[in-house]
Amino acid sequence: MSSADAVASMSTPPRSSGRGGVPLMLAPVGGFYLLFFVIPMCSLFVLSFWRAQGFDIVPTFTLDSYAKIASSPLYRIILLRTIGVGLVTAAITVPIAFALSYLMRFVFERRAQLILQLLLISLFSGYLVRIYAWRTILGKQGLLNSTFTWLGLIDAPIEFLIYSRFAVIVTLVGLLLPLAVLPIYSAMSNISRDHLEIASDLGSRRLYLVRTILIPMALPGVNTAFAFTFLLAAGDFVTPNLVGGSQGIMIGNVIADQFRGTGANWPLGAALAFVTVSCVMLIVWAINRVIRWVTRW
Amino acid sequence: MNDLLKHVLDTRLNRPMHRRRFIQGAAGLATLTVLGAGGSAFGEEKLGGPLNFFGYDGEQGANVAKDFLEKNDIQLNAAFAGAADETLTRFKTGGRGSMDIMTMNKDFQRSVIDAKVELFQPLDLARIPNAAGLFAGFKDANWLVRDGKTYGVPMIWGDEPCIWNPTKWQGVPDRYTDFADPKYKGEIVLLDDPFGNIWLFAKSVGVKDPSRLTKAELDKAVAAMMTIKPNVAAIGASLGDMADIMIRGDASMGLGGWAYQTIIAKQKGVTLVVGSPAVDDRFFWSDAYAIAIDAPNLANAYGLINFITSPEANATLATELGSGCTVEKAYDLLSDDMKKLYDYSHVRAPGAGILGAQTVVPKQEPEGDIVGAQAWVEAWQAFKVA
Repeated sequence: MSSADAVASMSTPPRSSGRGGVPLMLAPVGGFYLLFFVIPMCSLFVLSFWRAQGFDIVPTFTLDSYAKIASSPLYRIILLRTIGVGLVTAAITVPIAFALSYLMRFVFERRAQLILQLLLISLFSGYLVRIYAWRTILGKQGLLNSTFTWLGLIDAPIEFLIYSRFAVIVTLVGLLLPLAVLPIYSAMSNISRDHLEIASDLGSRRLYLVRTILIPMALPGVNTAFAFTFLLAAGDFVTPNLVGGSQGIMIGNVIADQFRGTGANWPLGAALAFVTVSCVMLIVWAINRVIRWVTRW
Repeated sequence: MNDLLKHVLDTRLNRPMHRRRFIQGAAGLATLTVLGAGGSAFGEEKLGGPLNFFGYDGEQGANVAKDFLEKNDIQLNAAFAGAADETLTRFKTGGRGSMDIMTMNKDFQRSVIDAKVELFQPLDLARIPNAAGLFAGFKDANWLVRDGKTYGVPMIWGDEPCIWNPTKWQGVPDRYTDFADPKYKGEIVLLDDPFGNIWLFAKSVGVKDPSRLTKAELDKAVAAMMTIKPNVAAIGASLGDMADIMIRGDASMGLGGWAYQTIIAKQKGVTLVVGSPAVDDRFFWSDAYAIAIDAPNLANAYGLINFITSPEANATLATELGSGCTVEKAYDLLSDDMKKLYDYSHVRAPGAGILGAQTVVPKQEPEGDIVGAQAWVEAWQAFKVA
């Protein structure tokens, strides 16, 4: 091979080495997916049709767990509440993340990396540490209440700030914001400033410009951010446990209870997990369709 | 010859040990012993390497046993359970073969033994010589022994009283249902424990045996709990979390707490005190060490249990955890304050008095009209959702 050929071969993108190339390249990802997602989910799905008896699980086929979920108002209420918390969290987090990403991309472009790093620093601390930090901020004698009292704005602590659904949502927004910024900022990084300037020169108003150019082009990032925040918020059970108080219980807590020793019912827990996953996936899909539909016009 | 035997012994005892391998090893060791390797008394067991603990925070005795662990080159890996039940979850979800020592409360241990669930193994008391010094009530205790086999060695005991901030409250009312008074609004913290809470309120509404409830009695108890719900500020994820909530001032009255919370608070400059409603009183508990089936570090597990059961270590652990000691001679080593904290007549009596007679955790399965633990869990969830 001449040196020219060698250079040419180096500059040519690698090609699949025949029919088996693509499956071979996908094998590690597929294997990982199979091992850590498909098999555990299938096991859980099978478990949901078994029956709990004492501390044991009887392998049989019964729809008892699903029937119990369908007939119990308790599980319906908790599921709806969980979906509500997830949606509100995502509805607050994604616009904030979008605005932040916009500022980083188009307004403070030179400082974007610094802002991004500051956001990511919060991820370096532990999940529990960050929840306890929010407790310190929102508590009866926490930062907010102490500041309001010092300013003379309140005589007694604002109680709903902590151990409430409000506290759960605020904490989740705080925890999930960096995760929502990442995909949106990444998507916006691919949007050329020229597109916006041309549209603006042609008379597009700012809101129209955002709706017809910015959001559609950042849509993959927005969708990912929404899915991240909604799924993680709806599936969380540590945050409601630590800052939700007597109002904050979510489906994750109920599912966890079904896997804890005395009184546990693993098949019911598995069925609850599947019902929850099905509901949230359906909602993510529906919201995705709505966003596409809205940005089409 | 002796060097060779010592080498074989070291190799055997320092390997990760699974049940089958342990049996094989034990058979081999027995042969070696007969061949003249010397007595195999506990004191000569080779210790060292990892020791995996799963149980309540503090009960691993890391501070108390610090010198013992260092001297024997044992690395204590501790993970903590919020409730005794979590040991079973951990064991069933991959923990088997990696768990050594577990701690659990007496009712859960009794339930597991009664249900013949695989979780912990019978103990070889010859390897825990200090267990001979336990209070009479803890020897052959009905929640630890089945068919002549002992499954646990108690390390502390106590009760679940109310814990409160004395700057806000002078004491507690006579009954748990009295906490429905609006003056407690936003001041109460409970532990996320279906059994303890429902038991207390079942007792408060007059059920004779609060661990065995019919559906009607369960509903009555939960209805009584609902009356205090408006006053509940928080539900602590663990006893430590419950203490944290009170230390931060987010709640000032803990129901079903632990005396240890007063010590945690004291370390952070907050005073909390202990007491119980005069009529409804409280329930008692005892936690014991157990060794998991297929424990990989059996010698270390026996070594630590025996060490903690020595009078000095047991007194120190009881003091550290604000609990009662379980070893007769440890009592003499307690401070006067600690001696007064609990009524030791319960544990000096064979059968452990109220400690042995009282059951809090319900049966896993329903029995006739008596509902099973699952119904309690659902009732507790309904309470939290309301």
